[in-house]
Amino acid sequence: MTLNEARAPYVKSEASVSSMMRDVLFALLMLLVLPVVHYGVRPLVMAGVTMLACAVCEILFSLIQTRSISLSDGSSLVTGMVIAMLMPLNAPLWLPCAAAAFAILVAKMPFGSIGHTPFNPAAAGVAFAALCWPKEMFSYFDPAVSQSIPPYQDFTAVLTHSPAAVLKNGLKPDILPLDMLWGVFAGPLGATGILVIAACGLFLFLKRTARWEITASFLLAATLIAAFFPRIACSPLTSVKYELMSGSLLFCSVFMVTDPVTAPHRMLGRILYGAFAGFLIMMFRRFGAFEQGAAFAVLIANAAAPQIDSLLCGTLRLGDELYDE
Amino acid sequence: MILQRGVKLEQQKTASLRHKIKILPVPEGMAEPKPLPPRKDKLDAGGIIAAAEAAGIVDEFDGVALDKKMKRLRRLKPDMIVACCFDEDPCTTSAMATLRENTHAMIAGLVLAARACGAAENKIAVATAKEARVIRKINPQADLILAGERYPARVLLKRKLYASGKNAAYIGAQALLALTAAVDDSEAQNFTVVTVAGDGVEHWRNMRVRIGTPLQFLLDACEVSEKTKVVITGSSVTGKAVTDLSQPVTAATRCVIALKKPPRNKTYPCIGCEKCERACPRGIVPWRVLREIQSASPDPVRMPNVQKCIGCSACAVACPSGIDLTAVISKAAAYKKSGDFD
Repeated sequence: MTLNEARAPYVKSEASVSSMMRDVLFALLMLLVLPVVHYGVRPLVMAGVTMLACAVCEILFSLIQTRSISLSDGSSLVTGMVIAMLMPLNAPLWLPCAAAAFAILVAKMPFGSIGHTPFNPAAAGVAFAALCWPKEMFSYFDPAVSQSIPPYQDFTAVLTHSPAAVLKNGLKPDILPLDMLWGVFAGPLGATGILVIAACGLFLFLKRTARWEITASFLLAATLIAAFFPRIACSPLTSVKYELMSGSLLFCSVFMVTDPVTAPHRMLGRILYGAFAGFLIMMFRRFGAFEQGAAFAVLIANAAAPQIDSLLCGTLRLGDELYDE
Repeated sequence: MILQRGVKLEQQKTASLRHKIKILPVPEGMAEPKPLPPRKDKLDAGGIIAAAEAAGIVDEFDGVALDKKMKRLRRLKPDMIVACCFDEDPCTTSAMATLRENTHAMIAGLVLAARACGAAENKIAVATAKEARVIRKINPQADLILAGERYPARVLLKRKLYASGKNAAYIGAQALLALTAAVDDSEAQNFTVVTVAGDGVEHWRNMRVRIGTPLQFLLDACEVSEKTKVVITGSSVTGKAVTDLSQPVTAATRCVIALKKPPRNKTYPCIGCEKCERACPRGIVPWRVLREIQSASPDPVRMPNVQKCIGCSACAVACPSGIDLTAVISKAAAYKKSGDFD
């Protein structure tokens, strides 16, 4: 029996970076269940291809930089999944791959991989795709019309307006609220299953992988703006209902703004950050050119996070009062 | 307080608590301990401290001689003496098992210690309400408080009592038991209870061991596997890896953990999750100190409280990125103390 030296601590708490990423990945996979049941294997193929693109880009960049390749943290897979979830199902498969390449090669790796990214890579990738190919990004097939969806080929689908686009045009979406809860409406692939997203959010908050206060203040800000300044002529409650359930607002509130790397570090800071992102997303919806500005809102809020941090860390007392021995 | 400090660790106590404490035979060739002369002093504070000194009792929690500790406490005048009958370490149960099997003697020792220190109150601290029910069944008069299972339980209990206005002092379970034996039977502290655990041993047991027994002898009694790679004494959080098994068991050895696999050391950059901040019982903000230390010109003003670190490693245990934050904090404290800033 030969004994080795080992450095303390010899136990770890169960949460590690890879386990946190596993939790997020699991939650994102749950989002795929409803689309797979409704539309066949294409959602799975799309998610798989995007994750593969992310992994390949990360390996390539590591090779160019002659760094050790570390995929074990799983952050690139999460980035790939989030990008795939924000794409329409009828988009050609190269679109999420292009977004993934931008996310990894421009927004993640040059800054020094996980832990050092100033902007959420997935948000950057989606914003890039929205700016370059708005037509492909914002045309959704009609789930009400039964049509065959091939697993991986491009296809021309019967298109329809998503509720977010209808709201943008100042009209009231013609969808039953129950259908919206179950995700049977035109929208990004993973962002339509409202109930599933809420369940995933609850799972992540209970596992303490994501922080609830960002999501809460984000949703509160969006709700208040939707209630007091509705875009369509309807009661405040109806406006709140359609604003929160359309587009990718709820998905962003659970999976994108809660990213701990790009969020501020103090409780008050996180509340401010969430409210700011919620305000921005509503402003993008009202004044922006696209029907959805979630990715842009997240990027601008990311840019504000260090400022919020330094503001609060500078003025507030750090740590709590200590007793003397 | 909404915010719970400390780290929750997965508890693995049932395996070693299932059995009674086993008495390990004294290895051959070890000299019999010299019997102490019978106690002549009166049973006042001085007499108790003298008995503790004669018996050579060491507090297993901090490794300080009990007589010195009680002399110091006598000057500090605590309101309350607390017996630490909980184990912070997730697989150690030596203090819990000792309390279960010697509840009456433990209370007697606690009363003696309280008298020696001039404290009005005395309480036994146990980990959970479940454990408290077990002890109440044995002795309904036992005055118990709960320390909780979050690591570091002792410091968190200290915080809790301090917040409620109590100035408490803490003495380990083995030391109190030895104090009772020293006063009643004039026995020196010759034995201690050690938990043997880890995947490298067949039987997880609490063993009553003669102080000075080599670790090899203790591990062999628990059927240690040949594939054991790391042996840790002390605690699985702050303990030390041992490479030489002829080292003796000391009074401060609370557990011996044998592991087949060395712990993983994969580290990632800080992701800013703040788990370290919530874990720290001393109000340090380790992630911020790390960022400051890594910056080109660290600003000592931005690392508050680092000098108050007690080295409990709760931050390093909690860190999902596996960063050795204990080392970072001690580096920051040394930097702050040096006064050599740019």
